[in-house]
Amino acid sequence: MISRLHEAWRNRELIYVLAVRNMKVKYQQSALGLIWTFFNPIMTLGILMIVFTRVARIPIENYWAFLLSGYFVWNFVSQGLTAATFVLSDHRTMIRNARFPSDAPVLAATFSRLLEFLIAFALVVILIAAFHHGRLVASFLLLPLLLVLQLLLTVGLALPVAAMGVFYYDVRHMLPVALTALFYITPIFYSVRLVPEGLMPLYAINPLAHLLGAYQTVLYDGAVPAASALATLSLISIGAFFLGYAVFNRFRPIFAEVV
Amino acid sequence: MADAAICLRGVRKRFHYDKRRASSIRQTFIRVILRRPIAPRPTGFRIQSIDLLVRKGEAVALIGGNGAGKSTLLRLIAGIYEFTEGEVRVQGRLAPVLQLGAGFHPELSGLDNVFIYGALLGISRKELADRMKGILEFSEIGDALRMPLKHYSSGMQARLALGVALSSQPDVLMVDEALSVGDESFRKRVLDYLRDFHGRGNTLLFVSHNLRDAGEICPRTIWLEDGRLVMDGETSSVLEEYRRVKTLVASPDR
Repeated sequence: MISRLHEAWRNRELIYVLAVRNMKVKYQQSALGLIWTFFNPIMTLGILMIVFTRVARIPIENYWAFLLSGYFVWNFVSQGLTAATFVLSDHRTMIRNARFPSDAPVLAATFSRLLEFLIAFALVVILIAAFHHGRLVASFLLLPLLLVLQLLLTVGLALPVAAMGVFYYDVRHMLPVALTALFYITPIFYSVRLVPEGLMPLYAINPLAHLLGAYQTVLYDGAVPAASALATLSLISIGAFFLGYAVFNRFRPIFAEVV
Repeated sequence: MADAAICLRGVRKRFHYDKRRASSIRQTFIRVILRRPIAPRPTGFRIQSIDLLVRKGEAVALIGGNGAGKSTLLRLIAGIYEFTEGEVRVQGRLAPVLQLGAGFHPELSGLDNVFIYGALLGISRKELADRMKGILEFSEIGDALRMPLKHYSSGMQARLALGVALSSQPDVLMVDEALSVGDESFRKRVLDYLRDFHGRGNTLLFVSHNLRDAGEICPRTIWLEDGRLVMDGETSSVLEEYRRVKTLVASPDR
């Protein structure tokens, strides 16, 4: 396992080149470039804002700030998983004709969205600091830690999805359904505090609930999450990362034959 | 063996799933997860117990019909496929050129693609930058380097890809189907290069789809059929036998 991590580190140049390739391909031919990337989330955010403050009212003060503290994180994870379903098939010629670690394209697919995420997220932090808290809050210092855990969790979930995508094309049809379900059962547009006591054990199963909860505490509440919550989230993210690699590595030797 | 560049001992390869059985790909997935032996009903060996020794400085051509296992053998040597049994050893820096420009993206510039293809072959960006002059000289791309690859002719793409592959300054070069793209002058230039590469004491393993090419650069030829070595020896005699058998096989139906 450690040697795999070491290998991933040695292959950082390849991961970087592949990530830049993804970004260049994406922006090469579109005149409006980045705008399209943010068009979808801004539209979704607008609709959620209207629906949950005017129609089905969710009792959260400054609802926009709450929504923003989790939405882009969710967006990053769900896009990472969607990309993972076809990333290995997309790199079929490479995998069949060159000897290189096949986790590199999966990592690159995740990292190529990191820049977009960071741009959006920096704006979110500024908006929340300026108009929700009216000042910078000390708890924001925890954001880099949350970001690292978010990456570990995303990669940990994306690797098995990518491996499965090679064997079952059904994954491409299944994942959007799963993501839609996940969007509603993860506290993104509502707070986990609104969840009835009886359902809480079920919520604890969802790894994303822990991640989103931590972001909302840090950004919206401006508070440091309980040590136990941070410990649980760290354990889940690191565990998912290693488990994801373990599953992926079991398939690694046969990707070139099957893909 | 100290002077061996490529050494295969008793190498056998069985694929993990059989393309003829639609469900087997799913079964493979489940079996890998459960750590059961893969391929419950053996799918047959695509490479059957091959022993092969290529000495440093040799130039060897690989011939055989479609599905003989030539590309599979190269992928085994390159470490892209895992072998089922046996032993594969390669000494020195190996550059496998199995498909020219694997990973090339048509929307990106030639320059971008140089770095992508180079990274895939394990050549660092620094090395590539240092050898960019040589790559440009070989490929004769010139000002087109910053144009999207989709505007290149297939010959230009092949030259650029080969230029990158050769820039790693390999000790052992494996080439498959490199000459099937591009025009006659490209073919000639590649053959010249390969001859020169061999002349400098490097090792060459070359899959030839065109028997003429094999004779031009490789003193030794290996004939592969159904994953087995049929004949291994001096190029002219192997080619003669190959032609004789192929006409024998072809004629009875006529």
